[in-house]
Amino acid sequence: MFELESQVRKWRGHLRSTGSLGEEELEELESHLRDSVDDLVSRGVTAEEAFLVSVRRMGDTGALSDEFAKVSTESLWRQLLVPAADEPSRRRQRMEVTLVIGLAVLAGLLGKVPALFGWPLGEGSTLVYAKNASLFALPSVAVYLLWKRSLSLRFVLTAAGVFVGAALLVNLYPSYAPHDTAVLMAVHLPIALVLFCGVLYGGPGWKRAGTRLDFVRFAGEVFIYSVLIGLGGGVLVGVSMVTFQFIEVDISTFMFNWVVVCGACALLVVASYLVERKKGRIEAIAPVLARIFTPLFLMVFLSLLVTILSTGRVPSEDRELLLWFDLLLALVLSLTLYTMSARDAEQPRDLWDVMALALVVVALVVDGIALSAIVSRLAEYGTTPNRLAVLGENVLLLVNLLLVAVAYARFIAGRLRYQAIVEVQMRYLPVYVAWAGIIVVLFPPLFGFR
Amino acid sequence: MNISKELVAASATPIILAILQAADSYGYAIIQKVREVSDDRLTWTDGMLYPVLHRLEEGGLVCSRWETAETGRRRKYYRLTEAGRAELGRLREQWLVVHNALERLAGPTGGGEDHV
Repeated sequence: MFELESQVRKWRGHLRSTGSLGEEELEELESHLRDSVDDLVSRGVTAEEAFLVSVRRMGDTGALSDEFAKVSTESLWRQLLVPAADEPSRRRQRMEVTLVIGLAVLAGLLGKVPALFGWPLGEGSTLVYAKNASLFALPSVAVYLLWKRSLSLRFVLTAAGVFVGAALLVNLYPSYAPHDTAVLMAVHLPIALVLFCGVLYGGPGWKRAGTRLDFVRFAGEVFIYSVLIGLGGGVLVGVSMVTFQFIEVDISTFMFNWVVVCGACALLVVASYLVERKKGRIEAIAPVLARIFTPLFLMVFLSLLVTILSTGRVPSEDRELLLWFDLLLALVLSLTLYTMSARDAEQPRDLWDVMALALVVVALVVDGIALSAIVSRLAEYGTTPNRLAVLGENVLLLVNLLLVAVAYARFIAGRLRYQAIVEVQMRYLPVYVAWAGIIVVLFPPLFGFR
Repeated sequence: MNISKELVAASATPIILAILQAADSYGYAIIQKVREVSDDRLTWTDGMLYPVLHRLEEGGLVCSRWETAETGRRRKYYRLTEAGRAELGRLREQWLVVHNALERLAGPTGGGEDHV
């Protein structure tokens, strides 16, 4: 049975993925396509034929997007900020810009709250800032998403509860030397809160795999935008400090206490806004990076494996070893995630899928070897909060990648749809929130706040 | 008869401007009109009309607005601006010069008479 609606949607999605057409242009083209289909149908052609003829008349999508790119490359950035066509959405856009500026200021001021309590940024207060960093930057993002998605009171209250709860917890828990649990908190609270923002990003549909994948995509783009804006900020600070030095005015204290602190806190909400606004206008960069680095990392892991097997050298019992392997697995996981985020679920399997599976499997084997080399020694060392957290993460990542590997293998064998891999991965994400939550909430009391 | 790509591309702007001079219109209707007045001999790839329209809009020769048809379908209508009207006049003159030159040289009378 031919379904016109889904075919039109697919066609539009295909055009959108070329990246050079804005939503308005897509709507115009879709309206044209539908006119053409209707016209042909009224002359007695079947819907399917009418659709095919209309698409062919519309022309090759590649050539079409090239033509559009010629018109719009220069105005790409202007389009990001250009007012929409009709009055209500124009008003909403003006409101959005005002809101984002307000939220950026708010985030910046939140970053100054510790200074208010006698903790200016410096030697003695690093831990205070580290523990609270996500609480400066993320509430603004949360408010922005709540507004953007027009979420219900239930979401607003949940978000308020989560952030206020986290702030109380982080700052009321005592912390004694060597501050292990406090550092763990500082590392894991952002993980939990960022993933919680995924709930706000998704709104009522946050449980759907597709929505979660959208959030993964969004988070990756926000990260890349933040890095780029941060680099720009670094240049700004450097240039202004050097320039002021020439007239023998030292502004470094002001720069660090205000521009760097406030700027860093405001970064995320600004980046979120830009990513939300651009949507399909510019092709996402994170999946491109994943594509470039999947084969390269595969080669690195393969040569590592070959070296281990041929020389018999096993990773020795280094204290940092497990942490290092956690980072490696997380890297492999994010390559997998971003490859996933750019892939059309309907597309048949190809070499990239085999490569993605190979990367996951090799990473698993390497990690397995490392784990077996040190797991026996772990008991000798005794349990410290760091070791337990790191070991827990290793197990979580291992299970995650195992599940993905199995799903990939079944997909390549033709027994599973690609969408099923996405679902396996997306259903697993809350596990990380839970583990990060346990570390933030339960570890400090369990280990005597040390 | 197949009209060469280059000629189709070169004639697109004056033809679009001329159609819009008669009345405001939207993409699909413009394509239909072109087919109609050329007896189906001047055919464009439908999609390619839009980059041309947008370029004309950037150049200030046409302006656009969204309208909703009774069927609920939204369509983007284009209107000729004063600058567009002037441009159409210029383009038409240029085409006439070419047309006349060709007629004088290779027209049915084989030169001599002036066909304005």
